[in-house]
Amino acid sequence: MAAVTLRGIRKTLGPNLILRGIDLSLTKGEFAVLVGPSGCGKSTLLRTVAGLEEPDSGTIVLGDRDVTRSPPRDRDIAMVFQSYALYPHLTVRDNLAFGLKLRGVDPKEIASRVSEVARMLTIEALLDRFPREMSGGQRQRVAMGRAVVRRPQLFLFDEPLSNLDAALRAQVRVEIKRLHASLGATMLYVTHDQVEAMTLADRLVVLRAGSVEQEGPPLEVYQRPASRFVAGFLGSPAMNFFNGSIDATGRFAEAPGLRVSVDPARFATLPPGRPVLIGVRPHDVIPDPDGAIDLHVEVVEPMGFEAYAHGTVGGVAFVARLDGDAALPRPGERLPLRVHASSVHLFDPTTERSLDPGRS
Amino acid sequence: MTPRRLLAALALLLAAPSASAQHLTLWHAYRGAEQTALDQVLDAWRRAHPAATLDVLAVPFEAYASKLESAIPHDHGPDVFVDAHERLASYRALGLVAPVARASVTAVTARFDDTAVRALTAAGDLYAFPLSVKCVALFINPTLWTDPAPPATLESIEALRPRLPAGTYPLVYESQGAYFHAPLLHAYGGAMLDDAGRYTFVGPAAERSLRRVIAMTRAGVIPDEASGALVSQLFSTGRAATAISGPWLAAELGSRVPFRVAPLPALADAGGRLMEPYATVEGAFVSSRSHDPSAAIALAEALTEVPAAVIRARVGRQVVATRDAWTADPELARDPVLSVFREAASHARPMPTHPHMRAVFEPARQAILKALRGDRSPRTALEEAEHRFTDVTRPLPRRRDATLALLAVGLAAMGLVLNSLRGLRDPVFRRDLRRSLPAYAWVTHAAVTLALLVVVPLVIGAVTSLYATREGHSYYVGLANYVDILTARGGPLLATGSFYRVLLVTVLWTVANITLHVSIGVALALLLSRPLLRMKALYRVLLIIPWAVPSYVTALAWKGMFHRQFGAVNALLTTLGGEPVSWFARFSTAFAANVTTNVWLGFPFMMVVTIGALAGIPKDLYEAAAVDGATAWQQFWKVTVPMLRPAMGPSVAMGAVWTFNQFNVVFLVSGGEPDGETDILVSEAYRWAFTRQAQYGYASAYAVLIFLILLLVTRRRSPEALP
Amino acid sequence: MSRRTPWWIELLVHAALLTAVAFALYPVLWVVTLALSPSGTPSPRALPWPEAFSLDNFRAVTLQHDAAGRWLFGRQLFNSVFVAVATAVTSVALATPAAYAMARMRFVGDRAGMRVLLATQMFPGVATAVPLYVILDGLRLLDTRAGLVLVYATTALPFAMFQLRGAFEAIPRELEEAAMVDGATRWQAFFKVVLPAARPAIAVTCLFAFMSAWNEFILAATFLSHEDAFTLPVALQRYVGEHDAAWGRFAAGAMVVSVPVMAVFYAVQRHLVGGLTAGSVKG
Repeated sequence: MAAVTLRGIRKTLGPNLILRGIDLSLTKGEFAVLVGPSGCGKSTLLRTVAGLEEPDSGTIVLGDRDVTRSPPRDRDIAMVFQSYALYPHLTVRDNLAFGLKLRGVDPKEIASRVSEVARMLTIEALLDRFPREMSGGQRQRVAMGRAVVRRPQLFLFDEPLSNLDAALRAQVRVEIKRLHASLGATMLYVTHDQVEAMTLADRLVVLRAGSVEQEGPPLEVYQRPASRFVAGFLGSPAMNFFNGSIDATGRFAEAPGLRVSVDPARFATLPPGRPVLIGVRPHDVIPDPDGAIDLHVEVVEPMGFEAYAHGTVGGVAFVARLDGDAALPRPGERLPLRVHASSVHLFDPTTERSLDPGRS
Repeated sequence: MTPRRLLAALALLLAAPSASAQHLTLWHAYRGAEQTALDQVLDAWRRAHPAATLDVLAVPFEAYASKLESAIPHDHGPDVFVDAHERLASYRALGLVAPVARASVTAVTARFDDTAVRALTAAGDLYAFPLSVKCVALFINPTLWTDPAPPATLESIEALRPRLPAGTYPLVYESQGAYFHAPLLHAYGGAMLDDAGRYTFVGPAAERSLRRVIAMTRAGVIPDEASGALVSQLFSTGRAATAISGPWLAAELGSRVPFRVAPLPALADAGGRLMEPYATVEGAFVSSRSHDPSAAIALAEALTEVPAAVIRARVGRQVVATRDAWTADPELARDPVLSVFREAASHARPMPTHPHMRAVFEPARQAILKALRGDRSPRTALEEAEHRFTDVTRPLPRRRDATLALLAVGLAAMGLVLNSLRGLRDPVFRRDLRRSLPAYAWVTHAAVTLALLVVVPLVIGAVTSLYATREGHSYYVGLANYVDILTARGGPLLATGSFYRVLLVTVLWTVANITLHVSIGVALALLLSRPLLRMKALYRVLLIIPWAVPSYVTALAWKGMFHRQFGAVNALLTTLGGEPVSWFARFSTAFAANVTTNVWLGFPFMMVVTIGALAGIPKDLYEAAAVDGATAWQQFWKVTVPMLRPAMGPSVAMGAVWTFNQFNVVFLVSGGEPDGETDILVSEAYRWAFTRQAQYGYASAYAVLIFLILLLVTRRRSPEALP
Repeated sequence: MSRRTPWWIELLVHAALLTAVAFALYPVLWVVTLALSPSGTPSPRALPWPEAFSLDNFRAVTLQHDAAGRWLFGRQLFNSVFVAVATAVTSVALATPAAYAMARMRFVGDRAGMRVLLATQMFPGVATAVPLYVILDGLRLLDTRAGLVLVYATTALPFAMFQLRGAFEAIPRELEEAAMVDGATRWQAFFKVVLPAARPAIAVTCLFAFMSAWNEFILAATFLSHEDAFTLPVALQRYVGEHDAAWGRFAAGAMVVSVPVMAVFYAVQRHLVGGLTAGSVKG
């Protein structure tokens, strides 16, 4: 049974069309991540699910109830905000208990649930502090605890990690994943950070300008992006793109300084001479003296276990990932590279959709 | 008995006591001994009328007349009130008072002194029972005026000058007050107002009287700018040989200081004519709206009966108008103060009762002041005052037909209704309206109270501006009030008191204040925001004190501090080796005094706002600026100022609006002096409403113009930019 | 920024601040001097220090009884406290929900409402006193404390609304949203989360409303017709008569009137900075 079903959600704010008819369905226990650049409508969509915004049209079904017009309190959801939104005048204990008290839960029950959650998130020592007396990481935990203690059927996360430093972010990421595993709850998570998106999601939903650009398991989305936008958005450093065409044989795609073979399993039907947008991820190239990608190296960034070579191919900026222990090229050198046919992505230069008939 | 009969009996039972029980209200503005005496008299009355209830209200003097004028027509006024005879004409015009007896009924009138009865009689009716007669007399300090006989002439007092030490004066009185100047004027054969209500404080007699005051001031015979408080202080501390003042001074001196009283002396310079003071007759008036006129008349009369009059004379030190009181209590006739005042009253001239008399005091006072300060020759000063008087008492604009205006308003209202009905059909508007419904649950109560108690009075006030009102009469005149104001009542556009001149002063006032408020506030906030400053909290608490003290208290304190002779500011100046300044004599200094006071009142607000705004500026901006090589001065202009601007904008805008309408300071400190030059638009409007024959319509037109100006100036800002 | 500053700069800073403090305190000290002086009239001196001490003025002011032997000062003090507190409570109670809606909700007429609020601040009170009298009379609230409170509260309302709207705008929207997701209605979120978070601003707004009511005397003198219903400023005004003024009494009364305001001010002053600028700093 679907835990969340969104059908044709449209929303305007003033003159701006924010959501252009979103359809989405999550199964029970699924962890879905809404990802996209800022302004793509992902937060608005999340707030619509929460009931903080009312859609202009479309329906929202949670479990088997149509909640499109219900206020947030009738939706049995919990939300973790980017700013944590802890109640400044209440202690951690009261912050956690706030929602339960409003629902008239028995005080004994509240106490036991609060202490259980505090143990789970190791915030027992903080229970009598006020929000202003805690670090950002601690506040973040409390904010999660406040959601967990309610045992809702759906958790909503609105960029919950973006105010943390990098190390803490990685740590809490793992914790959220663990939490999801132990609670088995349905979660909808909004982020603009592709690492969070890739690592957390059971299902990745890429939003662009108020529409779903692509959705699916994260690896599938990463490996077979449906558009140049998705391809460029996921992966770091970002995919390299070239304007080129299919050669006369139909087996290669060419651009100045570059010639890559086309996977016949994916792009069998492309006629020779067809203009294409060629995409190659930095991680998919291998140095090879016979390689047909002619990289003119300008800068090399050794990172230890790997290195990035920045330069140009046929005058177009290009980044290549190299093994860190290999002999690294020097600036000014030429480095021939090759790429496996299965790692070559081809897009229509005008629509920017993938030319892979299985995608698009 | 049937139920119906029972009910009828019950009704009778309930009605009976209320028919016999009297409930009366009496208002007065007495203070001190006079109040004590009146209270004793009223207590005696209560004991004699156990079935009656009597409410007594002592009203502050400033609010007395306007309170009577608004309360009586709405049936909230008193049954009996004590007031002076010179208001009789205007109270009659307003229909506030009822006659208490025919003047021909000698059984009543013969009980009182003739002058008192005459003063309170109009059109053959007696309108109040005379209580007392007040006039000024000469107070003599026997240690400085050693002659047992009182001074016969003013000149003999002047002759004391060489024999008295510096700082001690032969004579003190409120020389700039028209009331106190009148005796001198009368001695020279002049008058303030004639019986027809024409202004007569011009011409040779008036000029002579003015020159005389100037000469006495220059010679150090009388002090400069003496207020009532100063007169009593100088006399009570032995620094004045004589003083011209009323019975109130005697009550204040009590037995602390030895003194004698004598009628005012004659003026040798005027051929030995007596200096006739104005006499004011206080009477017990009966309201025209009293629900029990006969009981009210009885109460008013009771105040004048012999025992009551004796109490008022002995306790309240009043010169009572009841003849028999003086014979009933032989001590009264022997009383050295009261008997003298009674004698002085018999030589006094009753204050003219014409309504225009109220319009005389302000211009006359200005004329005396201007002449005293030497700004104008006596002749010009007097002519300017006459012009001002004519201005205030000018004929009202002619009545106009309101039908057209009503028609226009009706059409406009209909258009508005139709328009909103059309809007209701628009689906987008209907959707917006439906979505607004929850929000209305939050704002309705505030909107309704605001509409009722703020917006409606405002609209009524604005509508009043289309009416001519004076002394309670009003009729529709269209835009005549505005035309009058905007054409400067026919005078030169930049003459003193013209709308444009006052507007200019108001703008100057606002700009000067806001500039100083903001710069002082910002400077102090910057100092207080220094991270390592010691005693920061203490400084802050001390610096916001001006904000915490009620502004009318401090405004009056500042006025005192700017006093020419006895103010602390001049004392400070002389200590520092400067010359004392006559602060309210010139526009520049009077304006500076006002600004100083208002800056004192207002800088703490800006300081606090700035402290808050400064706290909101990220520290790294300064660090970035410092790294970029900015000096402290550059940091202030390139970082602090641009960052403060958006945070403080709303407060500054609000402050500007408040300052533009800051009435208290201007009215209480300079009072518009010199000659209304420092008045701002609001205080000018106030004068038209309350000191110039209650011309509410005219004042409202000023208010509407102020409103329009502020609206126009602030219009360019969107509502978001303002707080 | 936190480098040590040279001693002479420190000295200049303190000198400047002390000058400002002297400027701020000088008139106040004069009022105190006047109140404590037995003669009760100003003398030409630069230093505000009484030549002789006497508490007569205070005794005369505070021990005033009316003809029926009732302790008038006590009643008037009670009136003032009652009216000022009730005004503060009423205006803030009226203003908070409305200011909240102004800060958070869009509705038909919100901008027009703001404009009207602003406009009310520009119309001078001179022209509205008489209509107010008539309206209060129509409501049968003339000469009652309730009527006075109502007038003061509505007069203080526009400023209170600006003030609180700013404060509410400065409170993160997420706080209420969190509460609503947690199961609160809009009203519950307002009472349980927004109001507690806005406490400093509410305290400051209360203070302003309290002060405006505590200090007002023109309307009070016009609307009230019983001496035992007077507020202190009206009583105080009676010490300044037409020809004579009991300045000593007035000063003593002024001190009696000022001290409670200053006490309340002192209690709230640490909120003053935050409460006053909560709204504007944000931008």
